[in-house]
Amino acid sequence: MTFDQFLQYILSGITSGSVYALTAVGFTLVFSATQIINFAQGQMVMLGGMMGITLHEAGLPLWACFIGAVAVVAIVSVGMEEIAIRPLLRKGVLTQIIATVGASFIFETAAMLIWGRDAKPLPPFTGETPIAIGRATVVPQTLWVVGLSIVVVVALTIFYRKSLYGTAIRGCAVNPEAARLQGISYRRVVVFTFALTGAVAAAAGVMIAPISFMGYANGTMLGLKGFAAATLGGLGNPVGAVLGGFLLGIVEALGVGVVSAGYKDAIAFVILLLVLFLRPAGLMGAKVVNRQ
Amino acid sequence: MLELRDIRAAYGKIEVLHGLDLTVAAGEIITVIGANGAGKSTLLKAISGLVKLSGGSIALDGERLDTLSVEQVVSRRLIQVPEGRQLFGPLTVAENLALGSYSRRRKGTPVTERLKKVFALFPRLEERKGQQAGTLSGGEQQMLAIGRALMAEPRILLLDEPSMGLAPIIVRDIFATLRTLNQEGLTMVLVEQDARIALSLAHRGLVMERGRIVLADTSQGLLANPEVQAIYFGQRAGGRAGAGSGGGR
Repeated sequence: MTFDQFLQYILSGITSGSVYALTAVGFTLVFSATQIINFAQGQMVMLGGMMGITLHEAGLPLWACFIGAVAVVAIVSVGMEEIAIRPLLRKGVLTQIIATVGASFIFETAAMLIWGRDAKPLPPFTGETPIAIGRATVVPQTLWVVGLSIVVVVALTIFYRKSLYGTAIRGCAVNPEAARLQGISYRRVVVFTFALTGAVAAAAGVMIAPISFMGYANGTMLGLKGFAAATLGGLGNPVGAVLGGFLLGIVEALGVGVVSAGYKDAIAFVILLLVLFLRPAGLMGAKVVNRQ
Repeated sequence: MLELRDIRAAYGKIEVLHGLDLTVAAGEIITVIGANGAGKSTLLKAISGLVKLSGGSIALDGERLDTLSVEQVVSRRLIQVPEGRQLFGPLTVAENLALGSYSRRRKGTPVTERLKKVFALFPRLEERKGQQAGTLSGGEQQMLAIGRALMAEPRILLLDEPSMGLAPIIVRDIFATLRTLNQEGLTMVLVEQDARIALSLAHRGLVMERGRIVLADTSQGLLANPEVQAIYFGQRAGGRAGAGSGGGR
């Protein structure tokens, strides 16, 4: 592999890593607030992409498609929590996790019935002329995807660290009963978290659709990769989730270059298994995983 | 001010409070003493709304509280300092205090003024404001738990075993602070196993056994009561059959 090829693979890895990172952030935020692993997270990304495409086909400008898709998927995510997860509160976390798996099948089937079996594209936000970085090239949409990931991660970090409501959500994750005794509504925190993760997933879906098309079945793999990234970084740790996402994307891309494109998906899961065997708490070793 | 009428509460099918009556006047400190399992903590949880009543009523200045959610009770400024402190361990001291102000973030005295007051009462919290709450000593954690409650500008402070696990000298300091707060007008309901220090602080005391109030008197009256002395201070007297291991510390 030449240096130029290496650079090209790294850039490609950063692009897919951005989407994995945003999906992993969704996993980790829901897990922190509720201890639930939301296996419908990948389908939220898919729904975001499909929604963006539909709105564009209806003649809306791209910025409106983006906002519309984010809003719709945030509502869908809250609806899933209200209908499939909340009624199972007394049945335990495992039952709720299984409910998210069920929800993912429903979303996938519904998407197939609504949008058909073929993957669809969304036009790039700002043209298709490749930009040279050294001797490697990227399409402008890549910059949008990477830029969005950085903006989302910085905004979430500021929100969770600096705002009172963000601190309240972290408090809820640590000790829900003590949080209630401060007047913090746990219900609202859960609803807000599902809305936020739905919105982040949808934003990722709309951003990636111009690069890799979007179809009803894309959510499963995106979800599994996001879960692998979240586990790699340390479930419950948003910074770890982002690092895990980028690391997974880059290793996957290099694996394609060194081994074969056929093993692309297998590489992610070999990494997931290695992490689970060797460092179950993930690279960032989030304390929250072992708090019980 | 606070009025409990024939309150009953159960965990599943097991009733743990069997019809309690209690009235708390403004500016008063009432202490509830009793053995482990007497229902003292459940009583506080029932007032806070964490445990729902199966009968009876709780009212604050005539407004029913037992139909409200925990968050709504907190917004009426009935603030609980829970057993075992229940701090947000990974969050800093400053963040814990900020969350204390959550229910009154847009009302009352400015939050910065409240923070100044808490730091004046507990200067050690100011020194450690950037430190994770879980790394504080037991005494500092109790100070933080009380400080966090004060950030909500309570009308009634509900304290569940504030002396638990603390060295006697720390307990003395904390109770001295509670006395100061009461002299400034703060009403308190204090649940304690350390009957002597609790009664020395309170105006009135109640003795609970097996979910019932079995004795109610002024603190001086209870301190002088031979039965209370026998059970809770380990002094020789008639003794109450079936009393637990609550006293003697």
